[in-house]
Amino acid sequence: MLDKLSLDGKVVIVTGGGTGLGKAMVQALARAGANVAIAARRRGPIEEVVAEVESLGRKGLAIPTDVSDSRQVEHMVALTLDELGKIDVLINNAGRTAENNPAPIWEVTDEEWRAGIDTNLSGAFYCARAVSKYMVDRGSGKIINVASGFGLRGVRDLYIYTCSKGGMLQLTRTLAMSLGRYGVTANTIVPGFIPTRGTDSFRRSLPGSGDVIPIGRLGQPEDIGPIAVFLASNASDYMNGEMIIMDGGGLAGGYAPTGHAPEIPIV
Amino acid sequence: MPILEEYRLTDRVAIVAGDGTLDSNVFTPYLAEALAEAGARVFVAARSADVMDESVRRANAIGGEAHGILCDHTNEQDVEMVFTEALNRFGRVDILVNNLRTEFGKSFDQVTVDEYETVMGRNVRSVFLMCRAAGTRMMAQGRGRIVNIISGLAERGLWNSAAYCASQGAVLQLTKALALEWGRHNIRVNAIGTGWFSSEELPLEEAQKELLVRFIPLRRKGHPRDIAPALVYLTSDSCDYTTGQPIYIDGGLMAHP
Ligand SMILES: NC(=O)c1ccc[n+]([C@@H]2O[C@H](COP(=O)([O-])OP(=O)(O)OC[C@H]3O[C@@H](n4cnc5c(N)ncnc54)[C@H](OP(=O)(O)O)[C@@H]3O)[C@@H](O)[C@H]2O)c1
Repeated sequence: MLDKLSLDGKVVIVTGGGTGLGKAMVQALARAGANVAIAARRRGPIEEVVAEVESLGRKGLAIPTDVSDSRQVEHMVALTLDELGKIDVLINNAGRTAENNPAPIWEVTDEEWRAGIDTNLSGAFYCARAVSKYMVDRGSGKIINVASGFGLRGVRDLYIYTCSKGGMLQLTRTLAMSLGRYGVTANTIVPGFIPTRGTDSFRRSLPGSGDVIPIGRLGQPEDIGPIAVFLASNASDYMNGEMIIMDGGGLAGGYAPTGHAPEIPIV
Repeated sequence: MPILEEYRLTDRVAIVAGDGTLDSNVFTPYLAEALAEAGARVFVAARSADVMDESVRRANAIGGEAHGILCDHTNEQDVEMVFTEALNRFGRVDILVNNLRTEFGKSFDQVTVDEYETVMGRNVRSVFLMCRAAGTRMMAQGRGRIVNIISGLAERGLWNSAAYCASQGAVLQLTKALALEWGRHNIRVNAIGTGWFSSEELPLEEAQKELLVRFIPLRRKGHPRDIAPALVYLTSDSCDYTTGQPIYIDGGLMAHP
Protein backbone atom coordinates (compact mmCIF):
# COMPACT_ATOMS: atom_id res chain seq x y z
CA MET A 1 0.00 0.00 0.00
CA LEU A 2 2.77 2.49 0.88
CA ASP A 3 4.36 1.87 -2.52
CA LYS A 4 1.31 3.45 -4.09
CA LEU A 5 2.47 6.76 -2.62
CA SER A 6 5.63 6.64 -4.71
CA LEU A 7 5.92 8.60 -7.95
CA ASP A 8 8.88 6.61 -9.16
CA GLY A 9 9.28 7.27 -12.89
CA LYS A 10 6.11 9.30 -13.28
CA VAL A 11 6.09 12.48 -15.34
CA VAL A 12 4.27 15.49 -13.90
CA ILE A 13 3.71 18.92 -15.44
CA VAL A 14 3.44 21.73 -12.88
CA THR A 15 2.41 25.13 -14.15
CA GLY A 16 3.62 28.06 -12.10
CA GLY A 17 6.17 25.67 -10.58
CA GLY A 18 9.00 28.17 -10.21
CA THR A 19 7.76 29.95 -7.09
CA GLY A 20 5.56 29.63 -4.01
CA LEU A 21 3.23 26.68 -3.78
CA GLY A 22 4.20 25.40 -7.23
CA LYS A 23 7.84 25.20 -6.25
CA ALA A 24 7.01 23.41 -2.98
CA MET A 25 4.93 20.88 -4.93
CA VAL A 26 7.73 20.28 -7.42
CA GLN A 27 10.20 19.67 -4.59
CA ALA A 28 7.93 17.09 -2.93
CA LEU A 29 7.05 15.41 -6.24
CA ALA A 30 10.72 15.03 -7.11
CA ARG A 31 11.57 13.67 -3.66
CA ALA A 32 8.82 11.09 -4.20
CA GLY A 33 10.43 10.02 -7.47
CA ALA A 34 8.79 12.09 -10.21
CA ASN A 35 10.34 13.71 -13.26
CA VAL A 36 8.87 17.18 -13.56
CA ALA A 37 8.21 19.66 -16.35
CA ILE A 38 7.83 23.16 -14.98
CA ALA A 39 6.06 25.87 -16.94
CA ALA A 40 5.70 29.57 -16.21
CA ARG A 41 6.36 32.84 -18.01
CA ARG A 42 9.72 33.74 -16.48
CA ARG A 43 12.64 31.51 -17.32
CA GLY A 44 14.78 32.31 -14.24
CA PRO A 45 12.68 30.81 -11.42
CA ILE A 46 11.71 27.66 -13.31
CA GLU A 47 15.31 26.95 -14.32
CA GLU A 48 16.38 27.23 -10.69
CA VAL A 49 13.76 24.71 -9.62
CA VAL A 50 14.71 22.39 -12.48
CA ALA A 51 18.27 22.42 -11.14
CA GLU A 52 16.92 21.36 -7.74
CA VAL A 53 14.96 18.53 -9.33
CA GLU A 54 18.05 17.34 -11.15
CA SER A 55 20.13 17.48 -7.98
CA LEU A 56 17.72 14.85 -6.58
CA GLY A 57 18.54 12.58 -9.50
CA ARG A 58 15.28 13.14 -11.39
CA LYS A 59 14.72 14.72 -14.76
CA GLY A 60 13.52 18.29 -14.87
CA LEU A 61 12.41 20.43 -17.79
CA ALA A 62 11.86 24.19 -17.80
CA ILE A 63 9.31 25.32 -20.37
CA PRO A 64 8.70 29.07 -20.54
CA THR A 65 4.94 29.23 -21.12
CA ASP A 66 2.12 31.69 -20.78
CA VAL A 67 -0.82 29.43 -19.98
CA SER A 68 -3.32 32.04 -21.15
CA ASP A 69 -2.14 31.38 -24.70
CA SER A 70 -3.39 28.01 -25.89
CA ARG A 71 -0.71 27.69 -28.58
CA GLN A 72 2.00 27.97 -25.97
CA VAL A 73 0.17 25.37 -23.91
CA GLU A 74 0.07 22.94 -26.86
CA HIS A 75 3.79 23.48 -27.22
CA MET A 76 4.36 22.81 -23.51
CA VAL A 77 2.60 19.47 -23.81
CA ALA A 78 4.40 18.49 -27.03
CA LEU A 79 7.78 19.38 -25.58
CA THR A 80 7.13 17.41 -22.40
CA LEU A 81 6.18 14.35 -24.45
CA ASP A 82 9.32 14.77 -26.59
CA GLU A 83 11.73 15.29 -23.72
CA LEU A 84 10.23 13.24 -20.90
CA GLY A 85 8.38 10.63 -22.96
CA LYS A 86 4.92 10.76 -21.36
CA ILE A 87 2.60 12.74 -19.10
CA ASP A 88 1.06 11.02 -16.11
CA VAL A 89 -0.10 14.08 -14.21
CA LEU A 90 -0.93 17.71 -14.91
CA ILE A 91 -1.00 20.19 -12.03
CA ASN A 92 -2.72 23.45 -12.91
CA ASN A 93 -1.18 25.80 -10.39
CA ALA A 94 -0.33 28.90 -12.42
CA GLY A 95 -2.31 31.80 -11.16
CA ARG A 96 -2.41 35.51 -11.56
CA THR A 97 -1.84 36.14 -7.92
CA ALA A 98 0.19 39.29 -7.62
CA GLU A 99 -2.18 41.46 -9.66
CA ASN A 100 -5.40 40.79 -7.79
CA ASN A 101 -6.17 43.97 -5.97
CA PRO A 102 -9.63 44.12 -4.46
CA ALA A 103 -11.71 46.84 -6.13
CA PRO A 104 -15.38 47.87 -6.22
CA ILE A 105 -17.10 46.05 -9.07
CA TRP A 106 -17.71 49.27 -11.05
CA GLU A 107 -13.99 49.89 -11.20
CA VAL A 108 -13.07 46.48 -12.63
CA THR A 109 -12.26 46.95 -16.31
CA ASP A 110 -12.91 44.50 -19.12
CA GLU A 111 -9.16 44.12 -19.57
CA GLU A 112 -8.55 43.26 -15.93
CA TRP A 113 -11.43 40.80 -15.87
CA ARG A 114 -10.21 39.08 -19.04
CA ALA A 115 -6.60 38.95 -17.93
CA GLY A 116 -7.54 37.27 -14.64
CA ILE A 117 -10.00 34.80 -16.10
CA ASP A 118 -7.64 34.09 -19.01
CA THR A 119 -4.79 33.00 -16.78
CA ASN A 120 -6.54 31.33 -13.86
CA LEU A 121 -9.48 29.68 -15.54
CA SER A 122 -8.82 29.57 -19.28
CA GLY A 123 -5.20 28.63 -18.60
CA ALA A 124 -6.30 25.63 -16.57
CA PHE A 125 -8.84 24.75 -19.25
CA TYR A 126 -6.26 24.96 -22.06
CA CYS A 127 -3.80 22.79 -20.14
CA ALA A 128 -6.47 20.20 -19.27
CA ARG A 129 -7.65 20.19 -22.88
CA ALA A 130 -4.13 19.77 -24.20
CA VAL A 131 -3.44 16.62 -22.14
CA SER A 132 -6.92 15.08 -22.05
CA LYS A 133 -7.06 13.34 -25.41
CA TYR A 134 -3.60 11.91 -24.85
CA MET A 135 -4.55 10.69 -21.38
CA VAL A 136 -7.85 9.23 -22.55
CA ASP A 137 -6.12 7.37 -25.39
CA ARG A 138 -3.62 5.78 -23.03
CA GLY A 139 -6.37 5.06 -20.49
CA SER A 140 -4.82 6.84 -17.53
CA GLY A 141 -3.94 10.27 -16.25
CA LYS A 142 -4.54 12.69 -13.44
CA ILE A 143 -5.42 16.35 -13.56
CA ILE A 144 -4.98 18.37 -10.38
CA ASN A 145 -6.28 21.92 -10.13
CA VAL A 146 -5.09 24.34 -7.49
CA ALA A 147 -8.11 26.46 -6.62
CA SER A 148 -8.53 28.48 -3.44
CA GLY A 149 -10.74 28.85 -0.40
CA PHE A 150 -11.76 32.08 -2.12
CA GLY A 151 -13.37 29.88 -4.80
CA LEU A 152 -15.79 28.54 -2.19
CA ARG A 153 -16.73 31.69 -0.33
CA GLY A 154 -17.41 35.30 -1.14
CA VAL A 155 -14.67 37.85 -0.61
CA ARG A 156 -15.36 41.56 -0.46
CA ASP A 157 -14.38 43.31 -3.71
CA LEU A 158 -12.42 40.37 -5.11
CA TYR A 159 -14.39 39.41 -8.22
CA ILE A 160 -11.87 38.06 -10.67
CA TYR A 161 -10.02 35.78 -8.32
CA THR A 162 -13.09 34.30 -6.63
CA CYS A 163 -14.90 33.69 -9.91
CA SER A 164 -11.91 32.09 -11.62
CA LYS A 165 -11.22 29.80 -8.66
CA GLY A 166 -14.86 28.82 -8.35
CA GLY A 167 -14.72 28.01 -12.05
CA MET A 168 -11.75 25.73 -11.48
CA LEU A 169 -13.79 23.65 -9.05
CA GLN A 170 -16.44 23.18 -11.71
CA LEU A 171 -13.77 22.35 -14.28
CA THR A 172 -12.59 19.60 -11.94
CA ARG A 173 -16.06 18.16 -11.45
CA THR A 174 -16.89 18.26 -15.14
CA LEU A 175 -13.61 16.60 -16.10
CA ALA A 176 -14.32 13.98 -13.43
CA MET A 177 -17.78 13.22 -14.82
CA SER A 178 -16.53 13.16 -18.41
CA LEU A 179 -13.15 11.44 -18.32
CA GLY A 180 -13.50 9.15 -15.30
CA ARG A 181 -14.79 6.29 -17.41
CA TYR A 182 -11.58 6.47 -19.46
CA GLY A 183 -9.34 6.18 -16.44
CA VAL A 184 -8.56 9.87 -16.21
CA THR A 185 -9.35 11.57 -12.91
CA ALA A 186 -9.50 15.20 -11.81
CA ASN A 187 -9.26 16.62 -8.30
CA THR A 188 -8.69 19.98 -6.68
CA ILE A 189 -6.42 21.21 -3.95
CA VAL A 190 -7.95 24.11 -2.08
CA PRO A 191 -5.28 26.01 -0.16
CA GLY A 192 -6.13 28.49 2.52
CA PHE A 193 -3.84 31.38 3.33
CA ILE A 194 -0.16 30.69 2.77
CA PRO A 195 2.08 33.76 2.53
CA THR A 196 3.98 33.78 -0.78
CA ARG A 197 5.01 36.51 -3.16
CA GLY A 198 1.66 35.87 -4.79
CA THR A 199 -0.34 36.86 -1.74
CA ASP A 200 1.31 40.23 -1.29
CA SER A 201 -1.40 42.07 -3.16
CA PHE A 202 -4.15 40.40 -1.12
CA ARG A 203 -2.84 41.74 2.17
CA ARG A 204 -6.00 43.75 2.75
CA SER A 205 -8.28 40.71 2.42
CA LEU A 206 -5.99 38.34 4.31
CA PRO A 207 -4.99 37.69 7.88
CA GLY A 208 -1.58 39.00 8.88
CA SER A 209 -0.95 36.29 11.45
CA GLY A 210 -2.18 32.90 12.52
CA ASP A 211 -4.47 34.40 15.16
CA VAL A 212 -7.56 34.17 12.99
CA ILE A 213 -6.76 30.68 11.71
CA PRO A 214 -8.34 27.95 13.83
CA ILE A 215 -5.14 25.95 14.27
CA GLY A 216 -3.26 29.13 15.18
CA ARG A 217 -0.76 29.43 12.37
CA LEU A 218 -0.55 30.51 8.75
CA GLY A 219 0.13 27.90 6.13
CA GLN A 220 3.55 27.22 4.66
CA PRO A 221 4.23 26.23 1.06
CA GLU A 222 5.60 22.90 2.36
CA ASP A 223 2.12 22.00 3.66
CA ILE A 224 0.91 21.40 0.12
CA GLY A 225 3.66 18.97 -0.98
CA PRO A 226 2.33 15.75 0.56
CA ILE A 227 -1.15 16.46 -0.82
CA ALA A 228 0.17 16.98 -4.34
CA VAL A 229 2.15 13.74 -4.07
CA PHE A 230 -0.92 11.87 -2.81
CA LEU A 231 -3.12 13.17 -5.62
CA ALA A 232 -0.44 12.56 -8.26
CA SER A 233 0.15 9.00 -7.11
CA ASN A 234 -1.78 5.79 -7.56
CA ALA A 235 -2.75 6.12 -3.90
CA SER A 236 -5.62 8.37 -5.01
CA ASP A 237 -6.84 6.30 -7.96
CA TYR A 238 -10.43 6.05 -6.70
CA MET A 239 -10.64 9.74 -5.87
CA ASN A 240 -12.32 11.77 -8.60
CA GLY A 241 -13.99 15.16 -8.79
CA GLU A 242 -13.12 15.93 -5.21
CA MET A 243 -11.24 18.55 -3.32
CA ILE A 244 -8.78 18.48 -0.49
CA ILE A 245 -9.07 21.64 1.54
CA MET A 246 -5.89 22.65 3.33
CA ASP A 247 -6.54 25.79 5.30
CA GLY A 248 -5.86 25.30 8.99
CA GLY A 249 -9.56 24.77 9.64
CA GLY A 250 -10.82 28.05 8.19
CA LEU A 251 -13.54 26.65 5.97
CA ALA A 252 -14.66 24.17 8.63
CA GLY A 253 -15.58 27.21 10.68
CA GLY A 254 -16.45 30.59 9.33
CA TYR A 255 -19.69 31.01 11.25
CA ALA A 256 -18.24 33.34 13.85
CA PRO A 257 -14.87 34.97 14.40
CA THR A 258 -12.14 32.48 15.27
CA GLY A 259 -12.05 31.75 18.96
CA HIS A 260 -15.70 32.72 19.51
CA ALA A 261 -16.71 29.99 21.96
CA PRO A 262 -20.11 30.46 23.57
CA GLU A 263 -21.07 28.33 26.58
CA ILE A 264 -24.82 27.87 26.59
CA PRO A 265 -26.39 25.47 29.13
CA ILE A 266 -29.31 23.23 28.17
CA VAL A 267 -32.43 24.59 29.85
CA MET B 1 10.45 3.02 -4.32
CA PRO B 2 10.93 6.57 -3.05
CA ILE B 3 8.15 7.80 -0.80
CA LEU B 4 7.97 10.90 1.34
CA GLU B 5 9.39 10.22 4.81
CA GLU B 6 6.75 12.47 6.33
CA TYR B 7 4.03 9.94 5.50
CA ARG B 8 5.52 7.41 7.91
CA LEU B 9 3.80 6.65 11.20
CA THR B 10 6.84 5.16 12.92
CA ASP B 11 6.34 4.89 16.71
CA ARG B 12 2.82 6.26 16.54
CA VAL B 13 0.07 4.46 18.43
CA ALA B 14 -3.31 4.17 16.75
CA ILE B 15 -6.68 3.08 18.06
CA VAL B 16 -8.93 1.77 15.30
CA ALA B 17 -12.56 1.52 16.32
CA GLY B 18 -14.64 -0.74 14.12
CA ASP B 19 -18.30 -1.54 14.21
CA GLY B 20 -20.36 -4.39 12.81
CA THR B 21 -19.24 -7.75 11.56
CA LEU B 22 -17.03 -8.62 8.62
CA ASP B 23 -20.18 -9.09 6.57
CA SER B 24 -21.67 -5.72 7.41
CA ASN B 25 -18.59 -3.47 7.60
CA VAL B 26 -15.48 -4.75 5.96
CA PHE B 27 -13.28 -1.64 6.24
CA THR B 28 -11.70 -2.02 9.68
CA PRO B 29 -9.13 -4.72 8.88
CA TYR B 30 -7.85 -2.72 5.90
CA LEU B 31 -7.56 0.42 8.00
CA ALA B 32 -5.59 -1.41 10.67
CA GLU B 33 -3.39 -2.95 8.01
CA ALA B 34 -2.64 0.43 6.39
CA LEU B 35 -1.65 2.07 9.67
CA ALA B 36 0.53 -0.89 10.58
CA GLU B 37 2.21 -0.87 7.19
CA ALA B 38 3.04 2.81 7.66
CA GLY B 39 4.68 1.94 10.97
CA ALA B 40 2.07 2.53 13.66
CA ARG B 41 1.31 0.16 16.51
CA VAL B 42 -2.39 -0.61 16.34
CA PHE B 43 -4.98 -1.22 18.99
CA VAL B 44 -8.24 -2.48 17.50
CA ALA B 45 -11.46 -1.82 19.40
CA ALA B 46 -14.16 -3.87 17.72
CA ARG B 47 -17.73 -4.76 18.42
CA SER B 48 -17.41 -8.26 17.00
CA ALA B 49 -14.68 -10.88 17.34
CA ASP B 50 -14.43 -11.51 13.61
CA VAL B 51 -13.62 -7.85 12.90
CA MET B 52 -11.14 -7.74 15.79
CA ASP B 53 -9.37 -10.96 14.83
CA GLU B 54 -9.17 -10.17 11.14
CA SER B 55 -7.89 -6.63 11.83
CA VAL B 56 -5.19 -7.84 14.21
CA ARG B 57 -4.27 -10.61 11.79
CA ARG B 58 -3.89 -8.25 8.85
CA ALA B 59 -1.91 -5.67 10.81
CA ASN B 60 0.46 -8.30 12.20
CA ALA B 61 0.83 -10.00 8.83
CA ILE B 62 2.18 -6.80 7.31
CA GLY B 63 4.82 -6.65 10.00
CA GLY B 64 3.03 -4.50 12.55
CA GLU B 65 2.32 -4.92 16.21
CA ALA B 66 -1.40 -5.09 16.82
CA HIS B 67 -3.71 -6.01 19.66
CA GLY B 68 -7.44 -6.09 19.91
CA ILE B 69 -10.20 -5.63 22.41
CA LEU B 70 -13.94 -6.17 22.24
CA CYS B 71 -16.19 -3.34 23.28
CA ASP B 72 -19.47 -1.58 22.86
CA HIS B 73 -18.55 1.87 21.57
CA THR B 74 -21.84 3.30 22.74
CA ASN B 75 -21.00 2.46 26.35
CA GLU B 76 -19.04 5.07 28.27
CA GLN B 77 -17.30 2.55 30.57
CA ASP B 78 -16.31 0.38 27.63
CA VAL B 79 -14.78 3.34 25.84
CA GLU B 80 -12.79 4.31 28.93
CA MET B 81 -11.59 0.72 29.17
CA VAL B 82 -10.39 0.82 25.54
CA PHE B 83 -8.21 3.85 26.21
CA THR B 84 -6.95 2.52 29.55
CA GLU B 85 -5.94 -0.74 27.91
CA ALA B 86 -4.34 0.96 24.94
CA LEU B 87 -2.36 3.25 27.23
CA ASN B 88 -1.30 0.35 29.45
CA ARG B 89 -0.03 -1.50 26.45
CA PHE B 90 1.50 1.25 24.33
CA GLY B 91 1.88 4.22 26.67
CA ARG B 92 0.25 6.81 24.40
CA VAL B 93 -2.47 7.39 21.82
CA ASP B 94 -1.55 9.46 18.78
CA ILE B 95 -4.22 8.42 16.33
CA LEU B 96 -7.89 7.56 16.53
CA VAL B 97 -9.76 6.15 13.55
CA ASN B 98 -13.51 5.73 13.95
CA ASN B 99 -15.07 3.35 11.50
CA LEU B 100 -18.33 3.32 13.39
CA ARG B 101 -21.33 3.20 11.11
CA THR B 102 -24.13 0.76 10.96
CA GLU B 103 -25.97 0.99 7.68
CA PHE B 104 -29.72 1.10 7.81
CA GLY B 105 -32.29 1.37 5.06
CA LYS B 106 -36.01 1.51 5.63
CA SER B 107 -38.95 3.59 4.55
CA PHE B 108 -38.86 6.50 6.98
CA ASP B 109 -42.53 6.32 8.01
CA GLN B 110 -41.86 2.78 9.23
CA VAL B 111 -38.74 3.58 11.25
CA THR B 112 -39.28 2.82 14.93
CA VAL B 113 -37.87 4.92 17.74
CA ASP B 114 -35.75 1.93 18.73
CA GLU B 115 -34.23 1.67 15.28
CA TYR B 116 -33.58 5.40 15.12
CA GLU B 117 -31.89 5.37 18.50
CA THR B 118 -29.80 2.34 17.59
CA VAL B 119 -28.55 4.03 14.43
CA MET B 120 -27.81 7.31 16.18
CA GLY B 121 -26.21 5.45 19.08
CA ARG B 122 -23.91 3.29 17.00
CA ASN B 123 -23.06 5.99 14.48
CA VAL B 124 -23.02 9.21 16.48
CA ARG B 125 -22.96 8.59 20.25
CA SER B 126 -20.10 6.12 19.75
CA VAL B 127 -18.05 8.65 17.78
CA PHE B 128 -18.79 11.30 20.39
CA LEU B 129 -17.55 9.02 23.19
CA MET B 130 -14.45 7.87 21.31
CA CYS B 131 -13.48 11.40 20.29
CA ARG B 132 -14.00 12.78 23.77
CA ALA B 133 -11.90 10.05 25.35
CA ALA B 134 -9.18 10.49 22.73
CA GLY B 135 -9.21 14.29 22.86
CA THR B 136 -8.56 14.34 26.61
CA ARG B 137 -5.45 12.22 26.16
CA MET B 138 -4.30 13.96 23.00
CA MET B 139 -4.62 17.40 24.55
CA ALA B 140 -2.44 16.22 27.43
CA GLN B 141 0.11 14.93 24.90
CA GLY B 142 -0.10 18.10 22.83
CA ARG B 143 -0.68 16.18 19.63
CA GLY B 144 -3.21 13.96 17.93
CA ARG B 145 -4.87 12.89 14.71
CA ILE B 146 -8.50 11.80 14.48
CA VAL B 147 -10.13 10.44 11.33
CA ASN B 148 -13.81 9.57 11.11
CA ILE B 149 -14.85 7.28 8.30
CA ILE B 150 -18.17 8.51 6.96
CA SER B 151 -20.36 8.17 3.89
CA GLY B 152 -21.14 10.63 1.12
CA LEU B 153 -24.61 10.51 2.69
CA ALA B 154 -23.26 13.02 5.18
CA GLU B 155 -24.03 15.55 2.44
CA ARG B 156 -26.36 13.79 0.01
CA GLY B 157 -29.79 12.25 0.49
CA LEU B 158 -30.95 8.75 -0.41
CA TRP B 159 -34.28 6.97 -0.49
CA ASN B 160 -34.97 4.90 2.65
CA SER B 161 -31.95 6.36 4.37
CA ALA B 162 -33.08 9.40 6.34
CA ALA B 163 -31.88 8.11 9.72
CA TYR B 164 -28.56 6.97 8.33
CA CYS B 165 -28.06 10.23 6.41
CA ALA B 166 -28.76 12.22 9.57
CA SER B 167 -26.20 10.16 11.49
CA GLN B 168 -23.52 10.73 8.86
CA GLY B 169 -24.23 14.45 8.69
CA ALA B 170 -23.88 14.54 12.46
CA VAL B 171 -20.41 12.97 12.36
CA LEU B 172 -19.29 15.35 9.62
CA GLN B 173 -20.37 18.32 11.73
CA LEU B 174 -18.68 16.82 14.78
CA THR B 175 -15.53 16.58 12.68
CA LYS B 176 -15.65 20.24 11.66
CA ALA B 177 -16.45 21.59 15.10
CA LEU B 178 -13.82 19.49 16.90
CA ALA B 179 -11.21 20.54 14.37
CA LEU B 180 -11.78 24.13 15.47
CA GLU B 181 -12.04 23.40 19.16
CA TRP B 182 -8.88 21.31 19.30
CA GLY B 183 -6.88 23.00 16.55
CA ARG B 184 -4.68 24.92 18.95
CA HIS B 185 -3.90 21.71 20.83
CA ASN B 186 -2.27 20.34 17.73
CA ILE B 187 -5.06 17.86 17.16
CA ARG B 188 -6.30 17.47 13.60
CA VAL B 189 -9.77 16.08 12.97
CA ASN B 190 -10.77 15.03 9.47
CA ALA B 191 -13.05 12.55 7.76
CA ILE B 192 -12.79 10.17 4.84
CA GLY B 193 -16.04 9.85 2.95
CA THR B 194 -16.72 6.68 1.01
CA GLY B 195 -19.24 5.86 -1.67
CA TRP B 196 -20.36 2.50 -2.99
CA PHE B 197 -17.79 0.00 -1.81
CA SER B 198 -17.43 -3.73 -1.85
CA SER B 199 -14.64 -6.02 -0.77
CA GLU B 200 -15.56 -8.62 -3.36
CA GLU B 201 -13.03 -8.73 -6.13
CA LEU B 202 -15.48 -8.94 -9.03
CA PRO B 203 -14.02 -8.96 -12.52
CA LEU B 204 -14.49 -5.45 -13.93
CA GLU B 205 -16.83 -6.63 -16.69
CA GLU B 206 -19.15 -8.30 -14.19
CA ALA B 207 -19.17 -5.24 -11.96
CA GLN B 208 -19.91 -2.88 -14.83
CA LYS B 209 -23.19 -4.60 -15.59
CA GLU B 210 -24.73 -3.14 -12.47
CA LEU B 211 -26.74 0.05 -12.94
CA LEU B 212 -25.15 1.51 -9.83
CA VAL B 213 -21.68 0.94 -11.18
CA ARG B 214 -22.54 2.67 -14.43
CA PHE B 215 -23.65 5.64 -12.32
CA ILE B 216 -20.20 6.00 -10.76
CA PRO B 217 -17.92 8.17 -12.97
CA LEU B 218 -15.00 5.75 -12.52
CA ARG B 219 -17.28 2.81 -13.41
CA ARG B 220 -16.36 0.56 -10.54
CA LYS B 221 -17.17 0.15 -6.88
CA GLY B 222 -14.49 1.09 -4.44
CA HIS B 223 -12.50 -1.43 -2.45
CA PRO B 224 -11.54 -0.71 1.17
CA ARG B 225 -7.93 -0.58 0.01
CA ASP B 226 -8.80 2.53 -2.04
CA ILE B 227 -8.99 4.67 1.09
CA ALA B 228 -5.90 3.29 2.84
CA PRO B 229 -3.27 5.78 1.60
CA ALA B 230 -5.54 8.75 2.36
CA LEU B 231 -5.83 7.45 5.91
CA VAL B 232 -2.06 7.33 6.15
CA TYR B 233 -1.80 10.94 4.97
CA LEU B 234 -4.46 12.20 7.36
CA THR B 235 -2.92 10.45 10.37
CA SER B 236 0.65 11.48 9.60
CA ASP B 237 2.65 14.57 10.53
CA SER B 238 2.46 15.72 6.91
CA CYS B 239 -1.20 16.52 7.50
CA ASP B 240 -1.02 19.59 9.68
CA TYR B 241 -2.72 22.42 7.81
CA THR B 242 -5.62 20.21 6.70
CA THR B 243 -8.28 19.98 9.37
CA GLY B 244 -12.05 19.83 9.70
CA GLN B 245 -12.41 18.41 6.22
CA PRO B 246 -14.06 15.42 4.62
CA ILE B 247 -12.07 13.85 1.80
CA TYR B 248 -14.36 11.84 -0.41
CA ILE B 249 -12.91 8.82 -2.15
CA ASP B 250 -15.84 7.58 -4.08
CA GLY B 251 -14.95 7.32 -7.76
CA GLY B 252 -16.50 10.70 -8.51
CA LEU B 253 -19.98 10.31 -7.02
CA MET B 254 -20.01 13.73 -5.40
CA ALA B 255 -19.37 15.43 -8.75
CA HIS B 256 -22.66 13.93 -10.00
CA PRO B 257 -25.64 16.17 -10.67
N1 LIG C 1 -0.59 31.35 -1.43
C1 LIG C 1 -1.86 31.23 -1.09
O1 LIG C 1 -2.26 31.58 0.01
C2 LIG C 1 -2.82 30.61 -2.04
C3 LIG C 1 -4.08 30.31 -1.56
C4 LIG C 1 -4.99 29.73 -2.41
C5 LIG C 1 -4.64 29.45 -3.70
N2 LIG C 1 -3.41 29.78 -4.17
C6 LIG C 1 -3.09 29.46 -5.56
O2 LIG C 1 -1.91 28.75 -5.63
C7 LIG C 1 -1.27 29.00 -6.88
C8 LIG C 1 0.16 29.41 -6.65
O3 LIG C 1 0.19 30.65 -5.96
P1 LIG C 1 1.40 31.16 -5.05
O4 LIG C 1 0.82 31.62 -3.79
O5 LIG C 1 2.45 30.14 -5.05
O6 LIG C 1 1.84 32.50 -5.82
P2 LIG C 1 3.01 32.74 -6.88
O7 LIG C 1 4.32 32.47 -6.24
O8 LIG C 1 2.77 34.09 -7.42
O9 LIG C 1 2.79 31.67 -7.99
C9 LIG C 1 2.08 31.90 -9.16
C10 LIG C 1 2.85 31.26 -10.28
O10 LIG C 1 2.08 31.26 -11.46
C11 LIG C 1 2.91 31.65 -12.55
N3 LIG C 1 2.08 32.32 -13.54
C12 LIG C 1 1.38 33.46 -13.41
N4 LIG C 1 0.77 33.79 -14.56
C13 LIG C 1 1.12 32.83 -15.45
C14 LIG C 1 0.83 32.62 -16.82
N5 LIG C 1 0.04 33.45 -17.50
N6 LIG C 1 1.37 31.55 -17.43
C15 LIG C 1 2.16 30.69 -16.75
N7 LIG C 1 2.46 30.84 -15.46
C16 LIG C 1 1.96 31.91 -14.82
C17 LIG C 1 3.94 32.58 -11.95
O11 LIG C 1 5.16 32.54 -12.66
P3 LIG C 1 5.48 33.65 -13.80
O12 LIG C 1 5.15 34.97 -13.19
O13 LIG C 1 6.94 33.47 -14.09
O14 LIG C 1 4.65 33.30 -14.96
C18 LIG C 1 4.13 31.99 -10.56
O15 LIG C 1 5.18 31.05 -10.54
C19 LIG C 1 -2.10 30.06 -7.57
O16 LIG C 1 -2.98 29.45 -8.48
C20 LIG C 1 -2.87 30.67 -6.42
O17 LIG C 1 -4.07 31.24 -6.85
C21 LIG C 1 -2.49 30.34 -3.35
